[in-house]
Order: sequence, then C-alpha cells, then structure tokens
Amino acid sequence: MKNSDIRRRMLLAALLPVALLCLLLSGVFLFSRFEDINDNYQLRNRSVARQLALACEFGLFAANQEQLQAIALGALREPDVRWVGIRDRAGRLLASAGEANGAGLPGVFGPAEQIVGNLPDMFTQAVYASGLKLDDLYEESNGFEHRSAAPLGQVEVMFSHQPVSDKKREILLLGGLISILGLLFGVVLAARLSAGVIRPMMRVSHLIERIGHGDFAAAARVQANTSADDPLHALQENLVRMANRLANVQQELEQQVATTTSALREKKEEAELATQAKSRFLAAASHDLRQPIHALGMFVARLSQLQHDAATRQLIDKLDASVRAIQNLLDGLLDISRLEARAVQIKLQDFPLQELFERVADDLAPLAQDKELRLRVRPCTLWVRSDSALLYRILLNLVGNALRYTEQGGVLLACRPSADPTQLNIEVWDSGLGIAPEHQEAVFKEFFQVGNPARQRTKGMGLGLSIVQRSCQLLNHRLQLSSRLGAGTRFRLTLPRAAPRAAWAEAMLPQPNQDGVAQGAAVLVIDDDDLVRQALVELLQSWDYQVAHADGLQQAQQVIQNGFAPALVISDYRLNGNAQGIDVIAQLRQQLASPVPACLISGDADPALLLAAQVAHLTLLHKPVRPAKLRSLLSRLLTVQGESDARS
Amino acid sequence: MTRRWQILLLGLALSVLCWQARAQAPGVRVAVVSSQLSAPHMDAAQALIRQLESRGVPRSSIQIYNPADVASIPEATQTTIKVWVALGTQAAMVLGKSRLKAPALGALVPRAAFERVLRATGHQLSPQFNVVYLDQPLSRQMALIRLALPESNRVGVLLGPDAWHRNASLRDAASANGLALRATQVDDDDALFAALQSVLEDSDVLLAQADPLVFNSHSIQNILLTTIRANVPLIAFSPAYVRAGALLALYSTPTQAGAQAAHWVLEVLAGRQLPAQPLEPDDFEISVNDQVARVLALTLDAQALRLALKQQERQP
Repeated sequence: MKNSDIRRRMLLAALLPVALLCLLLSGVFLFSRFEDINDNYQLRNRSVARQLALACEFGLFAANQEQLQAIALGALREPDVRWVGIRDRAGRLLASAGEANGAGLPGVFGPAEQIVGNLPDMFTQAVYASGLKLDDLYEESNGFEHRSAAPLGQVEVMFSHQPVSDKKREILLLGGLISILGLLFGVVLAARLSAGVIRPMMRVSHLIERIGHGDFAAAARVQANTSADDPLHALQENLVRMANRLANVQQELEQQVATTTSALREKKEEAELATQAKSRFLAAASHDLRQPIHALGMFVARLSQLQHDAATRQLIDKLDASVRAIQNLLDGLLDISRLEARAVQIKLQDFPLQELFERVADDLAPLAQDKELRLRVRPCTLWVRSDSALLYRILLNLVGNALRYTEQGGVLLACRPSADPTQLNIEVWDSGLGIAPEHQEAVFKEFFQVGNPARQRTKGMGLGLSIVQRSCQLLNHRLQLSSRLGAGTRFRLTLPRAAPRAAWAEAMLPQPNQDGVAQGAAVLVIDDDDLVRQALVELLQSWDYQVAHADGLQQAQQVIQNGFAPALVISDYRLNGNAQGIDVIAQLRQQLASPVPACLISGDADPALLLAAQVAHLTLLHKPVRPAKLRSLLSRLLTVQGESDARS
Repeated sequence: MTRRWQILLLGLALSVLCWQARAQAPGVRVAVVSSQLSAPHMDAAQALIRQLESRGVPRSSIQIYNPADVASIPEATQTTIKVWVALGTQAAMVLGKSRLKAPALGALVPRAAFERVLRATGHQLSPQFNVVYLDQPLSRQMALIRLALPESNRVGVLLGPDAWHRNASLRDAASANGLALRATQVDDDDALFAALQSVLEDSDVLLAQADPLVFNSHSIQNILLTTIRANVPLIAFSPAYVRAGALLALYSTPTQAGAQAAHWVLEVLAGRQLPAQPLEPDDFEISVNDQVARVLALTLDAQALRLALKQQERQP
C-alpha cells in the first residue's frame, strides 16, 4: 500500500510534466500545421481565382460566353474546384461549370477578392481590364482615370474543403498516435526509473521498521544484499552502523540490568533473612516473655482476691497495673504481627453502631475518669457493614489514644452521614495537643509517639494507630486525620452504610462478662509449665471451679480415668515432647466420647496456629491471658455447652 | 538611367533659373508654364528655350513657372511678360483661368483636351489664347493610311459622345484621300466591344482618335486584342500604342512641339499677333511595330513613310 502510493506519486511527478509537454507540443504543432494547411488552401484557392480572373478578362470584355465556358471548364480541372461561375458587371452569369449548387448565388460585387459569407470555400474575384502605361501627354489630359475602377465582371470559384479536412484528420490521428506513443514511452521509462529509486527506499524502510522492532540482525542481512551502485547505499550503510551501535548499547544495558538485578536480589535476600531473624527473635522473645507474664498476671489476680491491709492492697493494685501494661504491650505486638501476616479473618456483617459505641465508652470510661476527661458518645441509630470485632478494636485504639494524649477537655465519639449516601463517617474528636503536619504521616508507624520522648508508660506503646491503620486497610475503610498543633485532633473513618434490620443477634457481639453463670464446673488444665499451670489452677479455683490439672496427655488421660469428668478443657498449645494441645484435646474428646468444650492457650504469635485452631473449632487465647478475659470465655463456653446439653 | 539623371539635372537647373528669374523679375518677357516636370514637358521646354536663345532672346527673359505659382506672379513681372506658353493641358487650364495681359499659347495639348479647356474657362479660340495641337491633322492621318496601306479603303473610327462632332471633318478628310469612313459612337465601356466589332466588320483599318473615353490605358489592351484577332491594323496617335501592339503611330515629339511653340513666341515678341485658328503640328514622327507588321504581312519603314508624307504635304 505504502509502496504503491510512493510509486504512484513518483510516476505522477515524472509523467505529469511529460504529459503536459507532450500535449502542449502536439497542440502547438497541430495548430500551426492546421494553420499552414488552411493558409496554403486559401492561398492556392486565391491564386486559382486570380488566374481565372486574368484568363477571363478578354472573354468578359468581349462577352464571349463560349470562351468563358471553356475557361470555366478548364478551371474545373484544378484540384478541389467544385464549381466555377463567371458573371459580367451586371451580375449575369455568363458561364458556369461544376456542381450546380453554387449557381444560385447572387452576383456580388465587393472587394476585389472575397470569401463569400459563411461558405469558407467560396472565392470571388473581380475581373478588371489590365492597365497599360501609355503616353504621358494623352494620359495627363484625359481626366477619366476614375472610370477604370469599374470591373469587367467577376469570377466565382467554389472549392471543396474535403481534402483539407481529410488532411487535418490524418495529421490529427498521426499527432495523437505520436503523443500516445510518447506518453507510453514516458510511462515505461518513469516506471523503470522510479522502480530503481523505490526499491532501495522500500528496503531501507523495511530495515528501519525491523530495527524498530528490535531486529538488529536485519541490518547485517540487508547489507549483504546491497551493491555499491545502489542510490541509497550510503544511507543503508549508516543505518547498519546505527543498528549495530544500538545493538551494542542494548547488550550493555541488559548486562547492567542483570548485574543490578542480581545485586538487588542479594540485598533483598539479606534483608529478608534479617527480617526473618528479627521475627524469629521477636517470636521467641515474646513467647518466652509470655509464659512468666501469663503466670504473673494470674498470680496477681489470685493475690488481689486475698484479704490484705491497705498498704499491701495499694501495692498489689500498682503491681496489677504494671502487669496489665506489660500485657497490653504484648497484645499490641500480637495484633500487629497478626495483621501483618493477614492472618486475621474478616467477617463482614451488618450491625448497629450504637452498641459498639457504648461498649467502647464502657471500656474506656475508667481511663477518662482517671484523667478527669469528659468522654462523650453521640447517640447513633445508623447501621454499618464491617467486621464488628475489628471495628471495636479500631475505635478502642482511636478513643484510647485520644484520651491518652488529651490533658483537659474531652473526647467525642460520633457518627455522621457522609456526602455519599452509601457511606458513613465515624469521627473521634479530642481537645488534645494535636499533631504537627510533619508528624501526621509518622503517627501511623509502630512505636511512634508524639511528645513522648521519655516514653512514659501511661501514654501507651505507640502501636495503637499502626494497628488502626492496618485494620482499616484490611477492612477497606478510609481513615483520615486532620489536626492542628494545640487545637486537637480529629480522626474520620469512612465505611459503608447498611440498612437497619429488626432482628439483631446480640450474641454476635463480644459479650460482656457473665460471672457466675457456670460456677462449680469441672475444668481440666493441661500445661507443661508448672508455674503457669499452678497460677491458672489457683485462679480457676478462686473462681469456684473444680480444677484438675495435668502436664501432658498421659496425666490428663489418667485424671479422666480417675473419674474426673471435665466440662471444659484448657490446654497449652505447645506441650512437652513436641505434643500439641490440639491433638491432646482431640484424644481427650475421643476418650470422653463427647465434644467437650476446650480452649487453647498459646505463647506463640504464629498465624498458622490460629488457622489450625479454627480448623479444630477451638478458641485460641494468647498469653498473657488476662484473667477477666479468661473468665468471660470460660463462662461463655460453659453456657453454650449447657444450652446444647439442655437441647439434647 | 542616364536620361533620368539628365532630367533631374535639367530640373535642377530650371529651378535655379526660376529663382534667378524671380530675382530679375522685371526682365521676364517669355513665361513658360509647365504642367509637370516630366521628360516630355522638359524636352519641350528645352527645345523652346534653345530655339529662342538661338534667335537672340536672352535666357534671362525666359522664365518657367509651375501652374500653382502663376497666381502669385507679381504685378510688375506680369507687365513685362510679352507672351505666355502653356506646356500641357493643366498649364493651359491654369492660364485660361488667369487674367493675362499678354497672349498665351498652348503646346502639348490634345485637341479634345483643349476643347475641354475652352469649355471650362469660357475662352474663345483667339490670337490671345491659341494652341498648337498635339494631335496630328486629320488630313495627315488619312494621307498616312493611304501611303502605308494602299490596299485599305475603309477606315473605321470609334468616337465618344464628346468627340462625335469630329465625325464630319473625319469623313471629309477620308474622302479627300479616297477613303470611306465608318464611324461609330461609343456611349460607355459596355458598348465598346459591340461598337468595336461592328466597326471592324466594315473596316480595313482602324484609326484611333485621341478620345480618352474610348482609348485609354485600360481599354487599349482589349481593343488591340480585338483588332489583331479581326486582322484589322490599328493606326494610333502615340508611340506608346505602337509599343502596345498598334501597327503605326503618327505623332509629334515634345521637341518638335517646343520648337513650333518657339516659332510663334518669336512672332509675338516681334510684335505680331497669333493666328485666330488653331495651329496644327507642322513636324511629326512615325513609329512602326515591326512584329505586328509581320503578322499582317506588311513591310513598312517609318522613316520612308515620314519622308514620303512630308514630301506629299509640301506638294500643293
């Protein structure tokens, strides 16, 4: 297509001038030839008419019709003469010869020589007596010169135009033929010449196209095909040179990229190894920390249940607060690691906000009271679609954070409709010290705390906003922060709205503590750590449970064989000799021949563990377990068990 | 070529003379008015002057004028002029129209033309206004026919309406020479051929008269053709006709005319009057077209004829 286009243009460029010149020249030559033919025709005819007039002079003078007729007949022998008429000065036709159609013409005396009217081949010639120079003396005296102007008569000759027309047609045909031949020759010549230019051009064009597609080897192939007399030889050589250079540059670049990539991979592997090492270290450290802190928490809980004097009670309270702080830190770390591993299962459902708000307010009311801050929750009737547990943790962190960084004034938790009717905004306002613009991104990083270089324990660990942000990302909720230094902070959470529904199972929400629901139930505690086991047993006993304990499967099986029928089994996940709590519980359930409620307690933050627990339909508690949480779980498990028993 | 140079030089000389004469205007006694500066007129003027000078008339008293200058000749000059000579018809016409105190003599003027001048100017032929005809006297013409073509008895003549009155004199002249005249009037060009044919049928010879209505440069060719075809010789009045194909011509040369005019000028200068009758040319020439003569199977010798004619005229 491109090829034919270029070819057509080149042909046009070459042919148009030739064709024009050809036409022009033919036109000019034909025209001048026609003129010549016409002129010759006229001249010859005129001369025939003149000769005839001369021949007729005496005949007209003598009015000799026989002679005139003979002259007329003689004139017919001239080529092209069709009709001859000879008239006297009165216009009478004295003699005529030839085709009759000219005979009717009226005698016209005009100029000596004339082409009559519209008939281009009718010539008339007036006949005058030929003058003779005579004696000057008599001529001077006669005074009658003017009379000599009168003609003797006139001769009319009609010529046939046919031979002229034939000749013109012949010339026209010949001229046309020559023009067409010339044009054809031009076409062939132009085609051949243009092919000589177009072929190399197309070759170069294809070469460039192939180089464009990265086929640098094409240059070498083309170079082999071209000869030195190619009009575009130099261009092709340069192209080949360019292609070679491009190929070299590309090779170099590829090598560089490969080198850099491998270096980066090494760095990445190093970093990954470092991260894994860090994770392993953190996991190990946290696991090892959890066990004693778990036990410590339980001991402190047990201790606080005992009777003490005022001074000791105060000491125990402070001890309890310290243990709780450590537990909070470990919880935060656990949350982060779970969120990071995407090990958190999201359960999206529609639920009303109001109850969630109330629980957050209830949970944080003591903190607000401690700091003498006003915590307000604006009543809200709207429903949202989200994960209630994750959203609870988000709000807990946001409001808790707000309380922690506010010294006076208060904190407001409110929900507002969004500009988008399908969305809803939850806002947390505080009158705290605010966050400087340069810190507004950094606050979401782990362990970042504004205005707490001393890292006061009361201000938390700096994990809250990080957890909030990761949770929001997981839920696909938008989190916005707007704050000014000294003028408070506002967090806005945007989440999808849901239509309110009448039947709302409150059980879906994490239930508040239900103390005393299943008091006196038999609980089997399995843990290989003596200290932890002892603390748990004592704690459970203080809550009026019948407690049996074992350090592993064998002891547990023995306890059951001894006649202890546990209503609930609490097992450590990792037991002695690589035994796993999940397997132990399964075997005990087999032994008891009933799906006894059970829960696992683990010091590992391993997300795989959580999945395994979910598969086995077991509740997993992480060390250090807060006594309150444990108590609430136990009562719930036992209640569910009681209800199912009642149903069965 | 040589002749043309001569004419030119003569013309120049005459012009110079004119200028001189004007300067010596009081001495002019003979005023010559020439129609043209053509060769015949100059020949006539030269012959006139030569003749006068040989008879004692000083050159300075002879002045040549153009016809256009006549009206502007000063009164003083006019009073000294004793005689006017008009060379050519146009000059004669100018003199005829001018009020002259001296007698005027025309020369080189054909008979028909002089008749026209008289009609136009209202002059009468008189001693004050006379002419030496250019045409030969009719008797001389008839005598020549008699001499040259003794076998011819019938003479044909074509006359235009203006010249028809000469019919009678022609007839007289013819019969005086023992010839029969066949005269036909030609009214216009169309009738020429018919008239010619009818004349030629009854004539042995056609005598051309200087009548421009009939004989002119346009008609002569066809007339000659007709006469030759009819085998009738044409006797013409000018050598030009002989060159064109006429058998004979009888005429006076300009030199002869000038010399004759000089004779009459001398008469006037000598205190005598011009005659009251028109003057016929007294000297003449004869031309013969040998080719035509051969065709007509005639043997003619121009000089012999002239001498014979002269001799015949001298006899009483």
